[in-house]
Amino acid sequence: MSNTPIIEIEQLTKTFRHATEPAVKGISFAINRNEIFGLLGPNGAGKTTTISILCGLFPPTSGKVMINGQDFQTHSTEIRQMIGIVPQDIALYPTLNARENLEFYGSMYGLYGRELRNSINDWLNKLGLTDAAKRKLSTYSGGMKRRVNLIAGVLHKPSILFLDEPTVGVDVHSRNVIIQHLKEINAQGTTIIYTSHHMEEAETFCTRVSIIDQGKILTQGTPAELINNHPGAPNLETVFLNLTKRKLRD
Amino acid sequence: MLHKLLATVKKEVLLLLRDKVGLSILFIMPMVLIFVMTLVQDSAFKTMNEKGIPVVFIDNDKDSLGIQIERGLKANDLCYLSDSIDGKPASVETAQKAVQEGKFLVGIVIPKGATEAIRKNVTELVNQTLNGEDSAIHKSAGKTDSVEITILIDPVAKKSFLISMTSNLREFISEVKTKIMFQTFSEQVAEIIPDKQNAPTNSYQKSQIIKYKELYASKSEDKIVPNAVQHNVPAWTIFAMFFIAIPLSSSILKEKNEGSVFRLHTMPTPYLLLVNGKIIVYVIVCLIQFVLMLSVGQIFLPMLGLPALVLGNSIAGIMLLTGATAFAATGYGVMVGTLASTEHQAAIMGSLSILLLSALGGIWVPSYVMPEVMRNISAWSPLNWSLEGFYKLFLRGGHVSDVLGETIKLLLFFLATMTVTSIANRKKRAV
Repeated sequence: MSNTPIIEIEQLTKTFRHATEPAVKGISFAINRNEIFGLLGPNGAGKTTTISILCGLFPPTSGKVMINGQDFQTHSTEIRQMIGIVPQDIALYPTLNARENLEFYGSMYGLYGRELRNSINDWLNKLGLTDAAKRKLSTYSGGMKRRVNLIAGVLHKPSILFLDEPTVGVDVHSRNVIIQHLKEINAQGTTIIYTSHHMEEAETFCTRVSIIDQGKILTQGTPAELINNHPGAPNLETVFLNLTKRKLRD
Repeated sequence: MLHKLLATVKKEVLLLLRDKVGLSILFIMPMVLIFVMTLVQDSAFKTMNEKGIPVVFIDNDKDSLGIQIERGLKANDLCYLSDSIDGKPASVETAQKAVQEGKFLVGIVIPKGATEAIRKNVTELVNQTLNGEDSAIHKSAGKTDSVEITILIDPVAKKSFLISMTSNLREFISEVKTKIMFQTFSEQVAEIIPDKQNAPTNSYQKSQIIKYKELYASKSEDKIVPNAVQHNVPAWTIFAMFFIAIPLSSSILKEKNEGSVFRLHTMPTPYLLLVNGKIIVYVIVCLIQFVLMLSVGQIFLPMLGLPALVLGNSIAGIMLLTGATAFAATGYGVMVGTLASTEHQAAIMGSLSILLLSALGGIWVPSYVMPEVMRNISAWSPLNWSLEGFYKLFLRGGHVSDVLGETIKLLLFFLATMTVTSIANRKKRAV
């Protein structure tokens, strides 16, 4: 793992129009190349807002975001080409089959011809979807849709991959397959930024995590460091619950 | 960039082909609409022009006036004359009842002695004139026995038809009066001037000095006759083209709701390119719609006994105007899809606005029958620009130069919708 940051955030703040409180309140952190960085927090903590800003979906109200030393204002296309996103919702066309969906999204990243076909075939094969590739997505199970959702974000071999709860609502088998392949992608040089509610999954999957709540970073470090820094906490979930005060969140 | 555009076009085509409801809205609904509207309006047209409006005629005069009016009305395409009701000779009472019941739209009653009254008045007038009495006409005007022709009217009868009918009656009465006057005058002159050679002949009565010729003001050398097909096919084709706003806006909102737009906004592809992919596909859909509608007008409607659609002289003009209409309709659909927040909203906004624009644009009712205020508003409807353009090409034999104004207006409308789309899209993303 390299220690050179690929993502740098300084004093990032986002206040949505008509909102009384900022969703993200002046957070700063850096993510190194080849890390699997977990952004953990309860509902409404500001995880998705942070990831959306990092993906260039909307600009921050204030603060600085640098991706690979470039910012969105001057290098939007270059940054977008190097990132991949696997959104929380299944962002695919239900009336198209898996191959048609992937051909379209792959093309939007500039892939075409044999390169695109090979990449699609390779990923469909890896995630066990070759036989179902010509079926409409609306006939897929939740786990199968999640796998296609993942492929759509990684076809172009991104340098940075954003995963917003990629395994939510997925059975154990599908989850294992997804996590295993994400580790493979990371091993090939892709930096992963990951959000999840599965603390156990985050503990084993992430190289470093940041716990965020109410728009602020509460703590940051490797899962082992966080557990060690909280005496009596046997795992990351206990650390998380202690820091976020065990209150129910909407 | 071309690969991306082609991929977008391919995706749009696949989405469209798998949307059965959308396809039926795009192709089947407008074809059915053209069939139904043309058949309905054609039968109304036939009632007016082929068989004529049903008129019950009671001739109690049995003389020149009654005979002349009956002959004249029978020769007129406007009405279908009958002197009996349910197989029995019509009387004033039965005619009134029949008109009340809607069996006839109009009843005409010529009173007994009508011709005799006219003859008496005219003879007196001629005598006075020949005897050299001053101001004979003015004097006699006050003494004339008036002839009252009764017209029974069904309240549903159109004002324009009644005006036409009374005008015809006036013409027949005037003709009879002139004939009687000329005949009486000739007889009186013949008594004064024994030389028959110099007496006025009766040939004037038979001559028709003023004739009428109906000529449609068209540039086309072909005789294009305005009919239900010539009016309805372009009108409903334009309506169908603009109706793509519903499936198009729905497809934009589906992408938003299904999360695809979220992913697309993070990709190294300008959103405009994605919109362009949609525009290309839906413009092609509009052109296919147009060809289908024309084939309905040219091939299928004649199979049902209706006249075939005549395209006029300018294929280039048709292509230009169709292209501009297709862009205007597609731009409108993209704008509705961007402004609406839900599919439901888009469906209501799209369908109502198109119904409104089409009503204002003269699709349902020709704009020339609208009140002046509405006519002025109508001039702002893109459907009206397109319809006016097609009327110029299909009915007035226009060429490319004649429809340039409409074409430019439609293309400017497209640019305006794209500008609104771009601003609305930027506003929505600036959360």
